[in-house]
Amino acid sequence: MTTEPKNNPPLGRVIVITSGKGGVGKTTSAAAISAGLAKQGFRTVVIDFDVGLRNLDMIMGCERRVVFDFINVIQGDAKLKQALIKDKRLDTLSILPTSQTRDKDALTKEGVEQILKELKAEFDYIVCDSPAGIERGAQMAMYFADEAVVVTNPEVSSVRDSDRVLGLLSSQTKRAETSGAEPIKAQVLLTRYDQARVDIGEMMTVDDVLEILAVPLLGVIPESKAILRASNVGTPVVLDGPSAAAQAYEDAVSRLTGSDVEMRIVGERRPGLFQRLFGRAS
Amino acid sequence: MSDRYARTRHDPSPATVAAFQVRGRFLTALALRIDTESADDTFYAQLDEQLLRTPQFFSGAPVVLDFINAPGFGDPDRMRELVGNLRRRELQVFGVQNAVGIEETVLQGLGLIALTAGRDAPLPRDNSPVRPVEAPRPVQNKVIRSPVRSGQMIVAEQGDLTVIGSVASGAELVAAGNIHVYGPLRGRAMAGCHGDESAHIFCQSLNAELVAIAGLYHTSEMLEDAARQRCTHIYLEDEKLRMEVIA
Repeated sequence: MTTEPKNNPPLGRVIVITSGKGGVGKTTSAAAISAGLAKQGFRTVVIDFDVGLRNLDMIMGCERRVVFDFINVIQGDAKLKQALIKDKRLDTLSILPTSQTRDKDALTKEGVEQILKELKAEFDYIVCDSPAGIERGAQMAMYFADEAVVVTNPEVSSVRDSDRVLGLLSSQTKRAETSGAEPIKAQVLLTRYDQARVDIGEMMTVDDVLEILAVPLLGVIPESKAILRASNVGTPVVLDGPSAAAQAYEDAVSRLTGSDVEMRIVGERRPGLFQRLFGRAS
Repeated sequence: MSDRYARTRHDPSPATVAAFQVRGRFLTALALRIDTESADDTFYAQLDEQLLRTPQFFSGAPVVLDFINAPGFGDPDRMRELVGNLRRRELQVFGVQNAVGIEETVLQGLGLIALTAGRDAPLPRDNSPVRPVEAPRPVQNKVIRSPVRSGQMIVAEQGDLTVIGSVASGAELVAAGNIHVYGPLRGRAMAGCHGDESAHIFCQSLNAELVAIAGLYHTSEMLEDAARQRCTHIYLEDEKLRMEVIA
């Protein structure tokens, strides 16, 4: 797939994908959003901040091409250019994998700042895939962000953790510490949303979540088999053929870049009566 | 050793000139509290590091072993090994305390005495005279114009606290005076934190984890059902928290 790279000066926006809670879909979303941005022609790089538990490279399908990583660059053992992996499907997309053998203490504020500075000079969007939790790794991922995508599942513990993270975004980041700076633009991305379970009252509704978090909604990603399938083959879901989830991510990406896309909550197509009756036999 | 002491105490020789004098003697001992069930390599490594760091502190000082956190040393062999290893490090171990499971004979065999009395350190005593009444501090109210997130704690040390926005579950509001929340209150709100019983809490929708006025509190379970999710005024009356739906 080729896209036309934009020739104007790079935007250099840093977007952190964070959540607090683990397993809500941060890495999947980081992969899908960065691929979606690249697909629209934006020069995009996605950085894995989950030092020691690296997964982004697998989701992006480049785990066999990792030679140097983020930590090598921070410690000066490699140049940034050597560590960046160009995606084979989208030439506007690069991946900066992290180390599997080190831990989060290897991240230094100065090192991260320096790398982001270099990346800002070349890329339109720098997507930081935050680790779970609110410790060093997550703090480093969010500290220099301009925008935040808070990935949340429609479920109470996830919502509470997201709220905690929103608090940190508005207090423990560079923008929060610099007086006069515009605060980080935080938006919530609701993932694993299952309309059928919402309808029978088993899952929180979009309104419930937004009422608690009180930030704008970036998108609603339906629970979809396409996501696990895409992860397993190492393809961001937006590049893995049409699906409800891919559509929802593409809409979210468009909103992220400033387009006004109507919020639609698409579900997996429900099996019809005949399919339900005879589906298993076939 | 114990035999000799027993004789001097119970069967003194009939001497005419006092051959000894009994005097009180206080000594300061170091108490080494064992916080592990078994004295393994990590334990000794940490101990050696400590000894290396402050060698003078331990040299020649009598040491008491405290087993309050380590009942596992009732085993005589383990005890023997521990004391041996400590003495090899030139720690003058002479007694044990809180050694519930350790048999007397084992202690005697190691030349240790069981201490039953004594504290770790003298308790700090507050000898300061009753503080004079402070001049009333100027009131400083606080207004927060953004949602209070889970994990955040907002304190108005000397006045009222007003939040325009929601207060999430896991957030905490503390004020010397009243608390007003123009939004749903899902976290904790503690008004009158310095004991002001005339403090009030107002919120647009009550769903708090805890509300307290001057230390008297209600948890979420104890909230009156009539006030739940309603615009509520909470105040103290006859040392009880009252909740009144006001809109």
